[in-house]
Amino acid sequence: MSSCLVIAFGFTNLAILGWLVVAGVPLLIHFLSRRRYRETTWAAMEYLVAAMRQSRRRMRLEQFLLLALRTLIVVLIVLAVAEPYVESTGFTFVPGGERTHRLLVIDGSYSMALKNDDGKMRFARAKALARALVEESPAGDGFTLVLMSSPPQVVVGTPALEPDTFIDELDRLILPQTTLDLPATFERVEEVLSQAKTETPGLVRAEVYFFTDLGKVGWLPRFASEKTESDFRRRVRRLAKAASLAIVDVGQAGVDNRAVTDVRVEEPFATVARPLGLTATVKNFGANPLTEQAVELWVDGRKTGKQNVDLAAGSSAGVRFSHRFSSPGEKTIEIKAPGDRLEVDNRRWLALSVKPCLSVLCVDGHISAGGGATGYLTVALAPQEGKVERTRVCPKVVPESALLEQNLAGYDCVFLCNVAQFTTSEAEALKRYVEEGGGLVFFLGDRVLADRYNRRLAENVKNPTRILPARLAGIVDKKTAGLNPLEYRHPIVDKFRGREQTGLLTTPISKYFKLQVREKSNANVVLATESGNPLVVEETIGQGRVVLVATSADTSWGSMPMWPSFVPLVHEILAYAVGGQIAERNRLVGDMLEGQVLLGPPSRGAATGVKNGKAAGSMVIKTPDNRQVKLPVGYRNGSVVWTFEETNTSGIYTVSPALDTGESSDDGGSRDYAVNIDTVESDLTKLTEEQLRNDVLAGVPIEIETTWSHGETETLGPIARRGRLAVTLLYTVFGLLLLESYLAWRFGHHVQ
Amino acid sequence: MAVDYQKYLDPEVLAGLEGLQLRARRIVEGYVSGMHRSPYHGFSIEFAEHREYAPGDDLRYVDWKVFGRTDKFYLKQYEEETNLVCQLLLDTSESMSYRGPDAALSKLEYAQCIAAALAYLIIQQQDSVGLVTFSEQIGALVRPSGNPSHLQQLFQVMEETPAGRKTSTGPIFHELAERFKRRGVVVVLSDLFDDVDKMMAGLKHLRHRRNDVILMHVLDPAELDFPFQNTTLFRGLEELPELLVEPRALRKAYLREFTAFIRRLKQGCRAERIDYVTVRTDRPVDVALRECLGVRG
Repeated sequence: MSSCLVIAFGFTNLAILGWLVVAGVPLLIHFLSRRRYRETTWAAMEYLVAAMRQSRRRMRLEQFLLLALRTLIVVLIVLAVAEPYVESTGFTFVPGGERTHRLLVIDGSYSMALKNDDGKMRFARAKALARALVEESPAGDGFTLVLMSSPPQVVVGTPALEPDTFIDELDRLILPQTTLDLPATFERVEEVLSQAKTETPGLVRAEVYFFTDLGKVGWLPRFASEKTESDFRRRVRRLAKAASLAIVDVGQAGVDNRAVTDVRVEEPFATVARPLGLTATVKNFGANPLTEQAVELWVDGRKTGKQNVDLAAGSSAGVRFSHRFSSPGEKTIEIKAPGDRLEVDNRRWLALSVKPCLSVLCVDGHISAGGGATGYLTVALAPQEGKVERTRVCPKVVPESALLEQNLAGYDCVFLCNVAQFTTSEAEALKRYVEEGGGLVFFLGDRVLADRYNRRLAENVKNPTRILPARLAGIVDKKTAGLNPLEYRHPIVDKFRGREQTGLLTTPISKYFKLQVREKSNANVVLATESGNPLVVEETIGQGRVVLVATSADTSWGSMPMWPSFVPLVHEILAYAVGGQIAERNRLVGDMLEGQVLLGPPSRGAATGVKNGKAAGSMVIKTPDNRQVKLPVGYRNGSVVWTFEETNTSGIYTVSPALDTGESSDDGGSRDYAVNIDTVESDLTKLTEEQLRNDVLAGVPIEIETTWSHGETETLGPIARRGRLAVTLLYTVFGLLLLESYLAWRFGHHVQ
Repeated sequence: MAVDYQKYLDPEVLAGLEGLQLRARRIVEGYVSGMHRSPYHGFSIEFAEHREYAPGDDLRYVDWKVFGRTDKFYLKQYEEETNLVCQLLLDTSESMSYRGPDAALSKLEYAQCIAAALAYLIIQQQDSVGLVTFSEQIGALVRPSGNPSHLQQLFQVMEETPAGRKTSTGPIFHELAERFKRRGVVVVLSDLFDDVDKMMAGLKHLRHRRNDVILMHVLDPAELDFPFQNTTLFRGLEELPELLVEPRALRKAYLREFTAFIRRLKQGCRAERIDYVTVRTDRPVDVALRECLGVRG
């Protein structure tokens, strides 16, 4: 910090100073009033002349004093409107030398990654300005730091009295690429202020500086209810009372931007059997049209496709790619639409496992020589069995007694057909399997014990092993007149729309369980009978999905397995049931990643697993910015699991078992996770000052400083004080007005 | 229905009457109707002196009571000499033509009304009244007479005498003091905007000639209150310069000067046993008359 005293005066609204010419108005009025007078004859002139001779000097002095006062009042009003400020180093202008708590809030939304015209990232500019503010603040002031993200992060919660320490923290700050949660940020800010007041009572004043690009999306939050909105507004008013608020605008208006807003695979699983179709959505958020915007497909770091697309201003377009994987394994897909200054939203990732075929476990409750309960099902799942290169699904049939012997984590989906009942252990294993992303499909039948199902798997929401989306109420022994697809709203039946020849609507079912879907549950009815009874119901539980079919998978309860609609219906149910795996591995910035440690044969050198009944070892996660973080594992519901919460950067995160050396294992067992940004922040429309003052922070005094025009210079005075100068001037004006009124009265101007 | 003559005492009403004669008669009628005592009481005949009988003198005027005490013949002198002689001195200078915003009559018109009313009263009392108009010099001089037809002449002179430019009271009072052979009551109706010392010297001369002097200081309310608000250009009468002033700022100083002027006049009058009466032209005329006649009572 500089030890010499530097004092600089400035004005926020310099153009307002042009109004200083108005200061000549009182003088003008004075001279005009001298030109406009009344005339009268007068007899007692001698005495008037004598009075004039006596009073001339006094009158001139009085007139000069009043004129000077009136001119000064106008000048001070103009100066106050121009918002004067004082910048100083090594000296405080605060009355009484009050020590100040300066809370610096830096916008951590990914729009701050945009590079301005000067090539400097908004976030870097914000940090530089924050640093300048700290360096120029008087000794003895305290500093705290909050990162404005979703969720907001309190980086320095206790006022740091050593500027150097604080600046170190500031320098280490990384842009998290999240969106902005304004209400939560204000809540954190209020907490930090309150805490600082308690812990550091010596800091008499408080100032809060928001370094932000004022993105409209983040600063105009949509409140869930009127109550949350009123809570927010009350909090803002409390903050304004507790501290001076200032916004340092580091953004630039009118910036174009494009973004890859979505990447969607056409099927929820990928195999080497056939090409995978995927669609990328690219949106032009700018005001100008984009012609021949390149959209590239990258697979495992290699560019495998490119298409050009034209985008009108504000429009989006889908670009379809098809890719056939030559080998199974963990694959990463990346879509790029390069070309603008905000690079973070020009890329989007997808992580998936490409398999030789989809592993499906079929648990048969009634195995018999004729195929049992799963005979038709396995044929439907793998109609071209034997031609491995064309088989996408590899079903394995086991009797219900062998369920617990299976390592469910090794299967993508489990079909349970006509299984009479489940033990507690079985229910727990199934529950765990579903919650961790597995797909579970129930076909019922004559062996099913409804009471056991309800008690063990349904019952109520508090049942720890509840996985059934509906209760079984009883058997309806009546042939259905037809099926109701419920307007094909559900993805499972969506592909049947317009394809009546598949015979879905005429599927013959003679017996089925009446399903009772609990009100206000998350379960969805996919398909119903003509009479309205639910026939297929699904629900997402944890990260997995459960599908319940009310009838049997064999021909004991109808001819459905032989009907043309059966094969496509089974494949759509399978696709939907395993869809959770894709969702599990493709998350948004800020989401927690978690996974199960597969307890197969230990990898070479890897030490992760269960030892003596307890979880042991660790996993290693490799982040997009090439950091390796060791993840301890835990034991939960019979599984060894890991979690990782610091998904602040978009890209591919690779999790693998840690070697004894602490390094990650490269010989298999790793799994990729794609973390993408929520592209709402890609709309770079700026909040106007009017919107900020009249809507977001309505009725709250706030200083707004636009630093964009400052160019390369990164300086910022303690702008929150500027308001105090203006207020002081206005108080002075008020005092001068009173003085003028008194003097005018005293000088006889208002005495009759 | 009886005529309410008292309303004619209001300057506003008087201003609506044409002719000084009519105004004077209405004032007197209004004045008398409001009195309980005779207004003539104040003008009692004074005993002048005795002189020794000489052959040829009229024996009707022998004072037999004195003869009874002294055995000498003395005559009572009161025939012509004992009639009240009142000289009305009316200032017709330019400053007397001023009429302020709150007055219905100019100072001259108001003074004329008072002079006419006094003349009317005096003639009715069978006494003599004379008139002198003056500004920087004597304008018209009507010798005293008690003849009722004399009134018409007085009114005519008062109405027709042109206004002069400046006021020069000192020399004029000296001259009149010499001219008035018979002592009597001298009523001066003027705004007295003149050199106070010279004026007082003239009045002193009148007093020295054993005249009773009543100074009726006729002033417009604007001159006494100075009610002006906005910036005003005051154009001076009697060849005085014009002045652009902010009246509100100057009011206090002006009133101080004007009060000092009146105070000096009053002090001078008190010293010379001259009766001083301030006459505001926005007040009913009877107030001025009552004060004038009252001081004589």
